[in-house]
Amino acid sequence: MTSAPAAHSPLAGSASGAPPALPVPRRAPSLWSASARIFELSLARMLWSRGTIFMALLVGLPVVLALLVRGVQAIGAPAMRVEGQVVTGPTIFGFMVWWLYLRFIVPVLALYYGTALVADEVEDKTITYLFTRPIARGAVLLGKFLAYFVCTVMVVTPSLMIVYFLMGLSGATLAGTFPSLLKDLGLVILGLLAYGGLFAWVGAQFKRPLVIGLVFVFGFEQLALIIPGYMRNLTVSYYLQSLVPHAVMSEGVLSILQSLVMQKASMATAIVMLIGIGVAFVFLAMRVIARREYVLEQ
Amino acid sequence: MSAPIVTTEHLSKWYGQVSGLNDVTVSVPPGITGLLGPNGAGKSTFLKLITGQLKPSKGTVTVLGEPIWDNPGAYFKIGFCPEQDAFYERMTGLAWVTALVRLNGYDEAEATAAAEKAIAAVDLLDAKDKKIGAYSKGMRQRIKMAQALVHDPGLLILDEPLTGMDPLMRRRTIKLIKEWARQGKSIIVSSHILHEVESMTSNILLINNGRILAEGNVHQIRDLIDTHPHTVFVRAEQPRAFARHCLAFDDVLSLRFEAGAVVVQTGKPDAFYARVTSLAATDEVGLIHEVTSPDDNLQAVFQYLVK
Repeated sequence: MTSAPAAHSPLAGSASGAPPALPVPRRAPSLWSASARIFELSLARMLWSRGTIFMALLVGLPVVLALLVRGVQAIGAPAMRVEGQVVTGPTIFGFMVWWLYLRFIVPVLALYYGTALVADEVEDKTITYLFTRPIARGAVLLGKFLAYFVCTVMVVTPSLMIVYFLMGLSGATLAGTFPSLLKDLGLVILGLLAYGGLFAWVGAQFKRPLVIGLVFVFGFEQLALIIPGYMRNLTVSYYLQSLVPHAVMSEGVLSILQSLVMQKASMATAIVMLIGIGVAFVFLAMRVIARREYVLEQ
Repeated sequence: MSAPIVTTEHLSKWYGQVSGLNDVTVSVPPGITGLLGPNGAGKSTFLKLITGQLKPSKGTVTVLGEPIWDNPGAYFKIGFCPEQDAFYERMTGLAWVTALVRLNGYDEAEATAAAEKAIAAVDLLDAKDKKIGAYSKGMRQRIKMAQALVHDPGLLILDEPLTGMDPLMRRRTIKLIKEWARQGKSIIVSSHILHEVESMTSNILLINNGRILAEGNVHQIRDLIDTHPHTVFVRAEQPRAFARHCLAFDDVLSLRFEAGAVVVQTGKPDAFYARVTSLAATDEVGLIHEVTSPDDNLQAVFQYLVK
């Protein structure tokens, strides 16, 4: 649509003299190339942003809990029992993966960062610099989403691995439980993708994305999971739950309740749905960004 | 005559019920154009519309012959320096400008070279490796200008570019802007520091309440305000005698005394100047040392028009 700029001498007469004219790019960077450049620009900013402490606290929480449990075991305290059964380290690990990581840390991180992908730039009034460059606006969101994804995966997976080595290995061999750890890591990554995509769209589309996200995760999803029927199909946690390799509790009243609510999709369906949710909502968010006006407060 | 760089037709922008710009039809010629208006006049809305950040509620905007909204390719030819003092504070000036020009399709080496050149052009080379968070206000303004011109655009749109600069840097920046214009770039500068705009260009757009009040050469604009009171400062040997004569003139609307001088408001400046010349030729009011008009300054033109 637009031809490249005329190759007149750039900034002739500048203080530095007149270096040879630079080659002028003929075309705008492709969507992927532009996204990669936005990714580079955003990753370090995201890692060292005001949310860093929040993120550290979140992923540090299960590590601290695991250390506490190990500490209690080390001083010879009696083993924890539920309905007469000793609760082992791997059981606690499985419990932490589902309740702490997948039901709390992953959605909260995705909510915090996903809704802020563009909102932070708007709030900081730096979005102007990105939106007045010859790249598709969607590339800004895609690049930022990739930065969010890499950033959170880089932070959450080490936390999960530390907790695994503290709790999950207890009484078992690394070789025996390693496949389970890989599944847990995969689940966390899928969760970050699906929730991240969803909240990227919520952040792009709505004015109060945090409230909407909190209501979705801690209201709608909790409710939908215990109500029989198809409503659970509209949640992310349903598909995550379908892939959880751990039996959180195996006997007693809890297991009966669990069996009532823990209906599962097939593994293939769950994986496809989680990836599909992530990709589809990122695409929707890109569409929203491309059409939306941002009026910066003066 | 050269094709206009920016053309708007019946351009309007509303923020909900609030009108930001109202039915503006204007053609901005190549060269330097000053966009003048008080705060809230619609300058920023106008600049955001012509830089494609906002979509017109009504009407059309064409920049360098192309529509600007949803046309990212147009940004190859446009450099925008926004008003807001907003940056990636933890990045160095060089890293920031390099990262931005990479979005124009430059590879790392080209981007770094272009960034260094742009930073040199705004005289900030010594501070290129400092974090922007440690920059002074003037340095921040300059690095913002560097990111606008780093890809060598044909049209520079500068929103209040002189804010925060010390007088020397202002003078240097004004010189640079004029130099860029001489190289063939077109520049639209918004500012509220009118004498500085006046020192860059005589081609101005006056804007207030979302409307363009006047456009064109400052002298043409002065013609438009002949119906408004025109102030003339006369330093005379006998100010009271001079004032007595002035009271007899129909076109004198008011007068007041200053030390050794009379400040007259007239509705017919040309006729008034002619009479002053006649009076000076007689001995009735003694010597007339000085006749000046603050209306020769853009500030006065602007004040009249926005009243």
